[in-house]
Amino acid sequence: MARFIIRRLLVAIPVLFGLSVILFLFLRLLPGGGPAEAILGQHATPQLVAQISATEGFDKPLYEQYLTYIGRLLHGDMGSSFIDGRQVADTFLIRFPGTLELTMGAMVFAVGLGIPLGRLAARHPNSWIDAVVTVISLFGISIPVFVLGYTLAFVFGVQLHWLPTFGQIDPRLDVDPVTHFAIIDAMLAGHWYVIDAVSHLILPSIALGSIPLAVFTRITRASVIDVSNEDYVRTARAKGLTDRRVNDRHIMRNAWLPLTTVIGLETGALLAGAVLTETVFSWNGVGSWVVTSIQNHDFIVVQSLVLIFAVIFMTVNLIVDVGYAFLNPRIRYS
Amino acid sequence: MIVALDGDMVFADPSLVSDGNSLYVAAQVVQNLVQLQPGTISTVIPVLAAALPTVSTDGLTYTFKLRTGVKFHDGTDFNADAVVYNYTRWQGYGKGDLQDNAYYYGAVFGGFGTSSNIASVKASDASTVVFTLKTPQSNFLLASTLAVFGIQSPTALKAASADTTPLKDNKYAEGLLPQGQDMVGTGPFMFKEWVVGDHITLVKNPSYWDTANAAHLDQITFKGMGDSTAKLQALQSGGVDLAFSISPLDVKTAQSSGLAIIDRGASCNQLNLDLNQSVGGQPTIYANKSVRTAVAEAVNKSSYVDAFYSGLGKVPTGFMPPATLGFKAEALPAFDATKAKADLTAAGLTADQLKIDLNYPSNVVRPYMPDPKGIATAIAQDLQAAGFTVTLKTEDWHGGYVSDATGGKFSMYLFGWTCDWAGADNFLYTAWFGYQDGKPNLQFGWKNDAANALMLKALQEPTVDAANADWGQVQDALATDMPAVPIVNSTPPGSMTSKVHGFVGASNGIEYFNTVWLTQ
Repeated sequence: MARFIIRRLLVAIPVLFGLSVILFLFLRLLPGGGPAEAILGQHATPQLVAQISATEGFDKPLYEQYLTYIGRLLHGDMGSSFIDGRQVADTFLIRFPGTLELTMGAMVFAVGLGIPLGRLAARHPNSWIDAVVTVISLFGISIPVFVLGYTLAFVFGVQLHWLPTFGQIDPRLDVDPVTHFAIIDAMLAGHWYVIDAVSHLILPSIALGSIPLAVFTRITRASVIDVSNEDYVRTARAKGLTDRRVNDRHIMRNAWLPLTTVIGLETGALLAGAVLTETVFSWNGVGSWVVTSIQNHDFIVVQSLVLIFAVIFMTVNLIVDVGYAFLNPRIRYS
Repeated sequence: MIVALDGDMVFADPSLVSDGNSLYVAAQVVQNLVQLQPGTISTVIPVLAAALPTVSTDGLTYTFKLRTGVKFHDGTDFNADAVVYNYTRWQGYGKGDLQDNAYYYGAVFGGFGTSSNIASVKASDASTVVFTLKTPQSNFLLASTLAVFGIQSPTALKAASADTTPLKDNKYAEGLLPQGQDMVGTGPFMFKEWVVGDHITLVKNPSYWDTANAAHLDQITFKGMGDSTAKLQALQSGGVDLAFSISPLDVKTAQSSGLAIIDRGASCNQLNLDLNQSVGGQPTIYANKSVRTAVAEAVNKSSYVDAFYSGLGKVPTGFMPPATLGFKAEALPAFDATKAKADLTAAGLTADQLKIDLNYPSNVVRPYMPDPKGIATAIAQDLQAAGFTVTLKTEDWHGGYVSDATGGKFSMYLFGWTCDWAGADNFLYTAWFGYQDGKPNLQFGWKNDAANALMLKALQEPTVDAANADWGQVQDALATDMPAVPIVNSTPPGSMTSKVHGFVGASNGIEYFNTVWLTQ
């Protein structure tokens, strides 16, 4: 197992290095001048562009800029934003809890609803129940996240006034951003502010969780039907075990194996990809930060974030692979 | 009260920002010697100054008498020494982070240190400040209203080492200090906190010096919301009380939802159809004046205003918005398709020369350009009717359009300007027609040495009246030469719920919340 983990970590090095080179070149070869022009916008004059390029090092050859960047990166310095001068790592630590909170909300929604729906459909294959569940999962996977987000906000926020449509917590509440997890900070602040934080989480979690919900429902259904047809399940039933016991001990325990993989992959993808949901719900996370950084041509931020996303995705994958071995003793890594 | 801005602040020190979000917040907290009358874009009133300054006849000395009894939010006194400290601080900004971010000081005063046009700022007594300029500067008073020139507490600035670079290590600029130690001004609201990427909270200044104009609200929260649909839904749901901007395309939806559209009065922007007479050193067809006139006659500006601006735009009567200081109305060519055809025929262009490109930006909405593609398409149809064969071309605003337009790579293109300050110099010289490095601006290839000399003269006139006379002649020259076709002056739409009262809008993005109150 240790050798497997070390090998996976070693493989990650050239992947991240290659990604850093591609990102660096791609972002700088985009049309529209350099970051100095982006910073100055319509105020850009040749003199000001030259001044900022000189002080920020934009006028140096690309390889020199890259070496400076990678040198800093190897020392744990992900660089600073061209726009506000803040260290990427500092802002990441402020914004990532928001993305993590949203991802967890989406996964609670998707797992909490997707697996029971999948089990329900599997218990009644080819029935009207199965058809309804299939339609729900197709709807979830087909509808664009931003369309669902705006629709949810319109129905539950604008029309019904049940739930807030933006942000992580009512900004008027006196909640200090101690951990930057809105729910935890709200709990620390007391006054039942946590209810406000949870209410802010509901709509974006549903929007972000709609695709994983559909995936989990489909995988659960297929997996449960597969396992249900295995000999050992038939044997268990023949031995006179109750339905519940057969389901819990024999079917779901084995059906969890493919689900675990998919849940892990979806979690990694959501952590790195809540861009649209965060924008629609004005969520202070990493996804909305990527959008504004791309708009501002804030290259250092964009390339550092993409690298971070890659590391997160690879780490989650590794955890899933390792966890798989624990769940399924038949798997051995060498 | 929750106010939706278009994005987050950049820095908490207003002297180091040039973006609208930061300045909008700072204007509530930090005050200048002079500011604009709320709701206007060019009427200067004294604020921390007791009266407008006396100006020497040579235009080199401005003497300000200051208000007494004014205190900063940290409890220290506002006085002449504080003004001297602030102006000296800005002038002394070193190269690198400070100069790079203090765009407006460099732009208004011609640079930092010895390059600045300010020769000295001295306190002749505790309540009198004397500015001495190296050369007369006709925009001095109007440009002094910019929120970047807000006076902050020297005690707070020194205590926080507010000039620390790099700025990531500057706690004052980063807004990390507690209330009373960061963004310390004299305004009706005090800075409380900034949760980066999320919101900024201001609270009422209970000891505001101008008791008649003290804030009604106990607290304002500014929330950055970049997505226009999210902003509209937040207004409709009542989660946000006022949005600084909404998309012009959402105006009708907002009105039908019972939301009010902010009355922003006189426009402070202009969209032009720019006609570049020289691209890559080669003359274009727009070097021919008959062609420029034909284009000006071919475009049906009032139809664009009706179609794209939801009643918030007007057809220009000159080369800058009418409320701009120094504006002169000109007899610009009116829409006349028949005359346009005749002028184009008279120009004697070949069929190949009549094939033209019209460039417009994509992935952007500007206050003066709510639907770039739609406007460009409408213009193209009018130009086709006059005899041109138009190909529409587009580039991403952030991905090449601005640099290609300002770099002189387009021959015909949509471009506009929102005022930094509503002076003729800001539109005519800074934004558009001033020569660069002694040569015609690449955006237009418009060579008129006399007009450029007049602009330089106007900038250095000792009085505003003398400058305005020069600017008037410049506008006459523009109307004669037509290097661009003015298309629209618009007021950018904002919206608020029916709970909001007492809000006074202004189209230059400087609005104050001390007069605002909320009802249930």
